[in-house]
Amino acid sequence: MLGSYKGDAKPLAGGTDLIPQIKAREMAALRVVVDLKAIPGLDAITYDATKGLSIGATATVTAVERSPLVRQYYPMLANALTTMASPQVRNRATITGNICSAVPSADSAPTLLAMEAILRLQNQKGERLVPITQFFTGPRQTVLANDELITEIRIPVPPPKSCGVYLKLSPRKSMDLAVVGVAAFVVREGETCKDVRIALGAVAPTPIREARAESALLGKKLNDESIAEAAGAASSECRPIDDHRAAREYRCDMVYVLTKRALTQLKEEAL
Amino acid sequence: MKEIRITVNGKPYELSVRPHATLLEVIREDLGLTGTKEGCGVGECGACTVIMNGKSVNACLVLAPEADGKEITTIEGLADGDKLDPIQQAFYEIGGLQCGFCTPGMIMSTKALLADKPEPTDQEIRKGLEGNFCRCTGYTKIFESVREASRKSRG
Amino acid sequence: MDYAVIGQRVPRVDAREKVTGAAKYAADYSLPDMLWCKVLRSPIVHAKILNIDTSKAERLPGVRAVITAKDFGGWTWGFMATTRDEPPLAMGKVRYLHEAVAGVAAIDEEIAEEATELIKVDYEELPGVFDPEEAMKIGAPVIHDYRPNNVSVEYHWNYGDVEKAFAESYIVREDRFKTGRVTKGYLEPPASLAYYDPSGSITVWPAKQSPYFHYRHLAACFRLPLSKVRVVQPFIGGGFGGTKNDSVAGDFCAVMASKKTGKPVKFVYSQEEELSTSKRRHSMITYSKMGATKDGLLTAVQAKVIAEGGAYTAIGPLSMYLAGSSIPIPYKLENFKYDGYRVFTNNPVCAAMRGHGITHTRFAHDLQMEMIAEELGIDFIEMRLRNAIDNPKPGTVYRTVNDVTLKTCGMKEALTAIKKDPIWAQREHTPKKVGSTSFGVGISGTAYSGGARQLGHQACGAVIRLCEDGTVNLLTGATDCGQGSDTVLCMIAAEELGVKLDDVVIKRVDTAYTPCDPGSYGSRVTLLAGQATQIAAAEVKKQLLEAAAKTWSIKPEDIQIRNSVVSLKSNPDKTMTFENLAKLACYSGSGAVILGKGYSSYGLEPLDFKTGSGNSGTSYSFTAQATRLGVDLETGHTTVTDFLIAHDCGRPLNPIGAETQNEGGAVQGLGQAIYEEFVMERGETQNPTFLDYKMPRSTDVPDIRIIDIITDDPDGPYGAKEASEGSHVSAPPSVISAIHDATGIWFTEQPVTPEKIVKALKDAGKWMK
Repeated sequence: MLGSYKGDAKPLAGGTDLIPQIKAREMAALRVVVDLKAIPGLDAITYDATKGLSIGATATVTAVERSPLVRQYYPMLANALTTMASPQVRNRATITGNICSAVPSADSAPTLLAMEAILRLQNQKGERLVPITQFFTGPRQTVLANDELITEIRIPVPPPKSCGVYLKLSPRKSMDLAVVGVAAFVVREGETCKDVRIALGAVAPTPIREARAESALLGKKLNDESIAEAAGAASSECRPIDDHRAAREYRCDMVYVLTKRALTQLKEEAL
Repeated sequence: MKEIRITVNGKPYELSVRPHATLLEVIREDLGLTGTKEGCGVGECGACTVIMNGKSVNACLVLAPEADGKEITTIEGLADGDKLDPIQQAFYEIGGLQCGFCTPGMIMSTKALLADKPEPTDQEIRKGLEGNFCRCTGYTKIFESVREASRKSRG
Repeated sequence: MDYAVIGQRVPRVDAREKVTGAAKYAADYSLPDMLWCKVLRSPIVHAKILNIDTSKAERLPGVRAVITAKDFGGWTWGFMATTRDEPPLAMGKVRYLHEAVAGVAAIDEEIAEEATELIKVDYEELPGVFDPEEAMKIGAPVIHDYRPNNVSVEYHWNYGDVEKAFAESYIVREDRFKTGRVTKGYLEPPASLAYYDPSGSITVWPAKQSPYFHYRHLAACFRLPLSKVRVVQPFIGGGFGGTKNDSVAGDFCAVMASKKTGKPVKFVYSQEEELSTSKRRHSMITYSKMGATKDGLLTAVQAKVIAEGGAYTAIGPLSMYLAGSSIPIPYKLENFKYDGYRVFTNNPVCAAMRGHGITHTRFAHDLQMEMIAEELGIDFIEMRLRNAIDNPKPGTVYRTVNDVTLKTCGMKEALTAIKKDPIWAQREHTPKKVGSTSFGVGISGTAYSGGARQLGHQACGAVIRLCEDGTVNLLTGATDCGQGSDTVLCMIAAEELGVKLDDVVIKRVDTAYTPCDPGSYGSRVTLLAGQATQIAAAEVKKQLLEAAAKTWSIKPEDIQIRNSVVSLKSNPDKTMTFENLAKLACYSGSGAVILGKGYSSYGLEPLDFKTGSGNSGTSYSFTAQATRLGVDLETGHTTVTDFLIAHDCGRPLNPIGAETQNEGGAVQGLGQAIYEEFVMERGETQNPTFLDYKMPRSTDVPDIRIIDIITDDPDGPYGAKEASEGSHVSAPPSVISAIHDATGIWFTEQPVTPEKIVKALKDAGKWMK
């Protein structure tokens, strides 16, 4: 159906991004809105010990955040979602919508990147699986075609001895976009880091994984020194803009602070 | 135009609405229930908070057709004739209001909060009301009203 | 004091309507056949308007009227006869981005909006200027021809001999302070429903906190007698000064469209329209020079204040007056010099806001006193106590060098209350550093003016109408915009008459029936409308006591009324109900109508804008505030944990109301101190949304305690002074003093954001050490 309208149609799930855009008359050509919530089963949240977590496209942020499965197996995601907007917005918004908006500061994105989520994209012709690391192409831009929908977000089973945290920096304690968002996820083998994922939001044209920071820790022990090195790498690599919300220098400094804090928290958690 | 059926404060309605009208517009203009307010129109202030199928939502971010088949409670649906709902009674007695413009939304969010957490901690009260902006009161007496409402609701 | 009603903790008289959603605000009103009005705004900051072509808009189906400046025949308005520079719609020129250029009335909002997009305006862009100090320079673009140097208002006042005093001082400091670009932030955007009756009268239901300003504007604009202009007051969703004390483009367009079409017309601004175009607080730079003795006694203050005025004058002359005239309170000062400049810029207009004018210089001087105290090694409360004006003994008056007079001053008492409280007394024993967070406690001691008495029409009246069943109606022109005036005026009436609060019903303002009142600004309503109410009630009581005296064959002064019971003072068992007395009085002979009227007796000394002398208010409140907060030294974030506010409002007549005003005012002040600022880029507001104009949310606010300082001022009903704005002025210096305590750094520019803190820590070599 989306295909037949060729861009004059938009899918609607929570509407918390789309409706303000419609009101601002930013979508002059929009003729049709397709309500996905009518599709049964699209809001399912399931967990399988081998396949991991499956979040249906229309599952609300509240439903995901409150899900006992998510809280047990993916506490980092549950906590990240509580930093978004308000209860009223979370009751309607979806993670799918949050990542499709593709704003650099999207609060669910760093965690999904750090947990290496995979997105199932579907259209009339078929489906494809896209790792989230390949999904974002620019501010408000993704690989999603006009006639495609994300129908499912899959998050692999967290490896044993892994833990993660998402830290959000914003001027107030509520209702703010992230000025900097850092998600850190570490898998341990003995004393050293077998796998490290550090994802940043709001400091680049898209949410990003921070390869240099990660390689600073791979195979190493998590200690003050290695953490400082990783934080420094993350800070020097990020490419934020200067805008009315924050200056570039401050965002880079805060990448350092938050990365350091996130990794330190994980170091302490593992003890 | 789209035909929708909604239940508002226990009463069923059959309405003909423009497809891009919001639930807020329908409540205020079509049903004449002006207790729910428009503060910002984009989900940032909570003045339009209503409860839809048991969950608090910003009515300005719900398209009218999305409300088809749903049960909606607005501020007008809380009192039982002359008898105020315990939350309304608490705000009334403690004085958790000044100009009153945020009050309907604040009370609806409180209702949702207490349904979820009947005895909320101070932190849970603050977080539960984070979507409702108030410029007048500094929130202090709003928090007290919620605590009193919690006591009244538990009897 | 054994009052029956005054001082009781009572629910607001309008609380029930508000908690049930029954209270109707301007946008909640409709009339049959109503049209919707939308405003077209300029996309260019500063430009000549060469031509406006409305033909396409007029032809759009559903459009009923299109309004442009020419419909208003060149009418403009302003605060003073010499500053009437503001037109209902831009006339010949636009001077700020999104200034209103045209209005459209149509059968629905969407068509009206679409029609505005069809209006074609030809502009010739002009260079703009966006900083007041730049705008004062020679060669800067001229915004108003009648002020070729862009200086909208200018004052030069001189008291004592500052030069001599500085020369004799032990210490002299010169510092620069700045307040930011902030706004009222009320939740309800401006709105009105207007009806121009073809017989030549106007009725409006507008969101105004001072309806009588609007009443006069409409009469002047539409050339109608005042007797044919009717402003009916809905409930108001917040005021805080500025816009709702004034009229906006939508108001004039809606009335004009109604005149043209014969239909009612409604407009409701969007919040984005409100935040990007409506009147804001002035942003003021204070260059302050302050001298003191070795013991920290102030010798002289010299303040040069440069205020950004935005594109029109509005109430600017008063803003600049207040910024200067209150410099000598609450601390004794024999020598002061004030040079104030309000400068036009191509930014939205700056006008009044809570804490009007006084907040800017009080912030500068409170902080500068602490800077001096730090250099001299004097404790910050001690420094204030040494300088504070003493509470005048009853019957005496303290007079400043510029003739500001105080009959009560609880500044020392307020400071002492804070000094004794554990938040200050135990501050050395509370943790100073936890992880990366450094804690600090700050203090401020400030004054604010109440019972505003200025130029123009300041009088107010009240009428009390006794119903035959013993219930009472109160009619005043005073507006409750949330501050609680309806409740406190009913309490005053009830106390004076001796009846129960529930038996007094206030009628909301309707200029057809209620006597004139200037409005809710300058913290004047409790004092002046309260006084008028008290007098009106006394007049009714007198008539009733005379009726009772006749019945009981005694003198009126032997009778008392309390809690709706009438009794003999000498024999409390001899009683009748107030209801029976009312019936007795009303049905005597062939019947009597019992009415009482009262007027406030405002001051006779006029303000002198030229010299800065005189009282801007009837009395002054005094507030000492302690703030406890933690600064995260790595991210720069400030978390405020506690406010303790000791407020001298004479006597809080409505304690719940006064507390809420203090709590709300302080949180609004917190917003100004560390969160709120409009970020401007060549005239464009970058953040006109609740998302990005950062006002405190429920998760940001501290625990707040209030201490009442009772001074029983003789000029307020039952001893009252203002309780609306004092804590809004005390909050910013208190918070910023606490930030200094936590970081060791003096921040002199509001808002003190995390970025500014991190930058300052870096510059001082203190970041991430």
